[in-house]
Parts: sequence; C-alpha cells; structure tokens
Amino acid sequence: MALAGGASIGTAALVAHGLSKRFKKKVALDKVDLTVPAGSVTALVGPNGAGKTTLIRVCMAFERPNAGGVEVDGVDPWKHRSEALRRVGYVPQTPAVYRGLSVEEHLSMARSLHSGFDADYARRRLDQLGIPLDQRADTLSGGQAAQLGLAVALGTRARILLLDEPLANLDPLARREFIQVLLDAVKSDGSTALLSSHIVTDVEDACDRLAILGGGKVRLDCPLEEARQTHRLTEADSPPPGATAVGSFLGKGGKTVMTLWRLAPGDDPGSAPNSGPGETSEAASLEDVVLGYLAAGRGIGLQLN
Amino acid sequence: MLTRIWLTYKQHRFETIAIALVCLGLAAAALIEAYRLNSMNVPLKCLESWQGAYMVGPGQPPLDAATQRCNDMAQAFSNIKTGTDAGLVRMLLAFAPLLVGIVFGAPIVAREIETGTAPLSWALSGSRRRWLFSKVLAGVLLIVPLMLVVGLAADVFEAAQYPDLNVYASYIDYVSRGAILVFWALAAFAGTFALGTLLGRTMPALIVALVVCFFVRGSWEAGMNHFVLRPFAVQTSLEQSANYTPDSWYNDISLYQTVYMDGKPWDGDVNAWWMEHQQVQVSATPDASGFVPGGGEPVYVDPATNKPLAPSQVPTYVNFVIPGAWYWNVVVLESGLLLLGSLFCGVIAFVWVDRRRPY
Ligand SMILES: Nc1ncnc2c1ncn2[C@@H]1O[C@H](COP(=O)(O)OP(=O)(O)OP(=O)(O)O)[C@@H](O)[C@H]1O
Ligand SMILES: [Mg+2]
Repeated sequence: MALAGGASIGTAALVAHGLSKRFKKKVALDKVDLTVPAGSVTALVGPNGAGKTTLIRVCMAFERPNAGGVEVDGVDPWKHRSEALRRVGYVPQTPAVYRGLSVEEHLSMARSLHSGFDADYARRRLDQLGIPLDQRADTLSGGQAAQLGLAVALGTRARILLLDEPLANLDPLARREFIQVLLDAVKSDGSTALLSSHIVTDVEDACDRLAILGGGKVRLDCPLEEARQTHRLTEADSPPPGATAVGSFLGKGGKTVMTLWRLAPGDDPGSAPNSGPGETSEAASLEDVVLGYLAAGRGIGLQLN
Repeated sequence: MLTRIWLTYKQHRFETIAIALVCLGLAAAALIEAYRLNSMNVPLKCLESWQGAYMVGPGQPPLDAATQRCNDMAQAFSNIKTGTDAGLVRMLLAFAPLLVGIVFGAPIVAREIETGTAPLSWALSGSRRRWLFSKVLAGVLLIVPLMLVVGLAADVFEAAQYPDLNVYASYIDYVSRGAILVFWALAAFAGTFALGTLLGRTMPALIVALVVCFFVRGSWEAGMNHFVLRPFAVQTSLEQSANYTPDSWYNDISLYQTVYMDGKPWDGDVNAWWMEHQQVQVSATPDASGFVPGGGEPVYVDPATNKPLAPSQVPTYVNFVIPGAWYWNVVVLESGLLLLGSLFCGVIAFVWVDRRRPY
C-alpha cells in the first residue's frame, strides 16, 4: 500500500521528545519521550490526571510545551499550526456540539473549515448509526454527540487521528462498531491513531501498541504483544528468575496482592512459566500490565489492610 | 466563506434576530416621529417667532389671532419634539449602536470557548484567524446595513425636529445620527469581541464592554472638542453668534472664546474695562406700567476725553468654532477615529485568538 506524504510504515507519525508541560506548579507532563509509528494504533492509557489529554492537546497546538516538543508528521504544531492540523483528526474528551446547528450543518461547517473534508463519508457513518442529519445537535444523546464528533474527525480523512477517550460515551455495540471503523480507516487510508483511555480492555482489540502514562511520565511504550509477553504476574514476592518488579496491586476479588514482573530482556517469554519449583507465575493480561505500572507510578504497591 | 457566514448567523440566531428587530424597530420609530412632526406643517416663521415669545408681559396688548395660532402650532410642535417618545427615540439612537455591537460581539468567540466548541473548529481549520475572520465578517455584514438604515432614519428625524437646519451642515446631535452610527456599532462590536477573546467568557465581556462603551460614548463629544477638534477651530465674532440665526448658532460647534481688541488677542479684564468705558444710556421714559423700553446699543467712551471709541478699540469676544460647513469632514474624521479603534481592537483579538487556550 502506497502512502501519501512524508510518513510511511516504519517512520514516526507522532514524536514527543523531552516534552514537559506545567500548569503553574502542577507538572502534567514530565520529559515525555514517545514515538507513535506511522500506521499503528496506539492506546494511551493512564489514570485520571496522568496527562493523556494534555499530551494530545499539545499535539493540537492547544497547549504550548514548557520544554521539548512534539512533531506531528514531522511538523511542529506550535510553529506551523495549519500545516500540522491539516494532517490531524481530533476528538476532544468532552464532546461539544454547536447548539442550534443541525447535524448536517456541523458537516457543512467542517467542510468549510477543512479543505478536503469528506462530508459524504461522515454522512454515511451517521446514517449507519441512525443519527438523523436534520436533528439539532444539542438534542442528540451524549453518545450520539460523541459519534458526531467522531464522524467529523474521521471525515477529515486525516492521516493521524488523535482521539481523547473516544469510547467513553459509547454503548458496547457502538464501541465494537467504532473500533471496526477505526481499523478500516487505518487499513484503507494508512492512518495512524492514538487513542487515550483509562481502560485498556476497551481498546486492546483495536490497538497494536500500548503507551502507559502515569504521573506525567511514560511508564511503558511498546507493541501490545511485547507488553503481554515480557511481563509475568505472581502472588508472592518471589520473582521469576532475572525479572524486575514493576508494581504490586490488589488482585481480582480483593483478597491477594499481585506483583507484576518485567522479564529480563532477551528472555524467551515462552520459557517463562513456572520458572522455579513450587513457584507459580501467571501470564499477565494487558490489564495487569497497566495496573502494575500504575501502581509503580504511585510509588507504593497497594497493601492488604 | 458564505457557508460559514450563514452558519454564524444560525449559531447566533438569537442575537441576529434581536439586533435586526431593534434596528428596524428603532428606524421605524424615528421615521414615525419624523412623520408626526412633518405632518404638522408648522410654518418656519412660527417656530422662530415662538422661541422668543414664551410669555406676554403684563400690560402688553393681547396677541392677535394670527400670532396666537402661530404660537399654538409651535407649542404643539414643541410638545411632540420634547415629548417622552421622541426623547426615548433620541436616547436609543445614541446608545443602540453600542448595544448592537456589544450584543453581537460578546458571544462570537467567548461562547465558543465557554461551550467547548472552539476546539472543534480550531482543530478543523488550523488557521484560527481565518475562522475568526469569517465570524467577524458575518457581524460586519449584519451591522453595517442595519446601522446605516438607523442612521439615515435618525437624519430624517433630526431634520424634522429642526426644519430650519440643514442636518448635513449642522452639528445638532451629529454623533447620534447618520453614517457615524455604523462606526459606533463597529467599534463596540470590535471592542467586545476582543474582550471576549481575551476573557473567554461571554457575560464578563458583555459587562465590561457595556461600562467601557457607555463611558466612551458619554465623554465622546467633550473629548473630541477638547483634544481633536480644537486645533481646527476658526474664529467668528460674538455678534454673529449672539444675533440668533440658525446658521451661526446651531450649526457650529462652539469650542472656546477669546477676547480681541484691535484685531489682536487681548488678555485684559473685560469687566473692569467695561466699568470704565461703558456709558449707560437711559433713553426713554417709563411707559404706563413702569416698563422702561430697551436702552439701545451700549456706547463706549474714552473716560479721559469722553469721546466715543471706534469699534476696533472695544474688546470683543471672538468665538472659535468648527463651522457647520465642515460637517462631512468632522463626520469622516470621527468615523475614522472610531474605525481606527475598531481595527486596533480587531488586531488584538486576531493576535490573541491564535495564542489562547481553547477553554
Ligand atoms: N488548564 C489546566 N490548568 C491547571 N491544571 C491543569 C490544566 N489542564 C490539566 N491540568 C492538570 O494536569 C494534569 C493532567 O491532566 P490531563 O487532563 O492531561 O489528565 P488525563 O490523563 O487526561 O486525565 P483524565 O483521564 O481524567 O482525562 C492533571 O493533574 C490536571 O489537573
Ligand atoms: Mg483526559
């Protein structure tokens, strides 16, 4: 598949280097280095206040970095905003629509603001969802408004999609459907997507990379598969050989404390299970990986009692 | 661009409709008042004679029927002119342009920031300036024709109130009528959307703009007279002003007076000079009621020789005025100043919209 423009698979669609953003005393992003390869779908996961939204807003030139910067398809959005934003489709965390304008008028507005906006594409998407085009946007349900936001973002046919919690307002069916649309868009247009979420299970079907943000720092940034394979979970404190502890957290059911371990690089993940006699380590799910890193971000693992 | 202008009106439809109604309503009210005055057909000489004949002095003969009728008509004319509804129209004409500009200007950026729609548009367009430009253009395209209609209606109203004046060669109410209203509205519009862009909030922008605009409007004429028009003033003699003719008294902007003697400015004490040089003339004997008819022109004499002085040796007040004939120059100058202010505010908004956070 030929890709237009500067990026091709293997190059970076989005790069943050040494990116720091402070709000007065509050450090939202602390020297973040992150690379989102072109053609990938990256889940940006982290707890409330981790800095996910801030990172995305810096990419949209809504925030000015205090140090470092980002490049969107090789363009610094703060310096060359129009050029950078032409390549980006964006969905804000809180869906906002123009009161008093109909759904169709939102598409007209998008077309008048963004050269190359594909209104037909957006219209088809909304049709499929049964959202009437002549309905006033402020009378849409929360999820429908979010769908409108998505349709507008996808209608730009932008090469890079920055989606801030796009699933938060959608029903389970709509989530499935959205993920499918996203994957189709990525495949057919060769787009790149970065979508933030609190809940990794929501996005793991759609993503091929995982970036964990905690306390303004990148805790983990790797392909999804690698994240699964290089981490193990144990109940007790005894590590799999050569592994380093990441963090401890309350297990399912709240009875036990689980510890996440990161296997030494080069370890064959296939040989890891049941490494020692009497010692059991489990394969870590993505959720466990995220929990482990988030617990590490807090500095202390959760203790029972 | 057309789409975006149209969508701007839809988005701000309440403001758009309110402004259109206020402007058209006010223009209609001014025209109705003008019609009421015009349809009385009061002869000009009745208006002129009536001005000086408020009362009939005791012992004076009763007015003849024609004069009486003339005075009654002038009185009725004056009742409409000074009535509540005409006064209301005059007041609205002074402040409606400000309200129109403020009401449309306040939400244009601020509401988008408040309701979180700014990121939606700013993400789509890349150039926030182009985005703002289309909204501002929508405002201008709405305000200019409407205010022009109001301004022209106000001119008609003014001409009806002062049938003896040429409203385009006279400064009566000149800041509240005619084309300058367009520039008042534009200045209020630009100032308010700039405030909205800076503050990111509709209500505070609206309130601050109200205070600032009304202050500027309230002090405009005094400020113009003192700082801007003063250097352009030309001299006329006091006599010309004192002898009431519509041309000299109503038409000009009287800026200041100085005393002249021998064709040069004179800084002596005029009252003291009068005491010394004026010879009081008691001409006639009192009439039956004890009333002494006027003493005629004062006579100035040299106290040493008791010889009358030539007019050039008498200190004379000289009025410095902006002549009514310069009406259009003054209107263009003041409109230009308002436009300059609008552009200044606009530049602030266009610079700031590019830098501000979308919330
Ligand atoms: N404009 C702002 N002024 C002050 N602090 C801010 C501002 N925006 C963000 N922050 C702070 O920066 C930190 C990161 O916020 P951010 O919105 O990026 O988190 P997030 O990861 O998106 O969280 P959530 O999952 O709740 O959306 C938070 O502590 C937040 O309070
Ligand atoms: Mg967020």
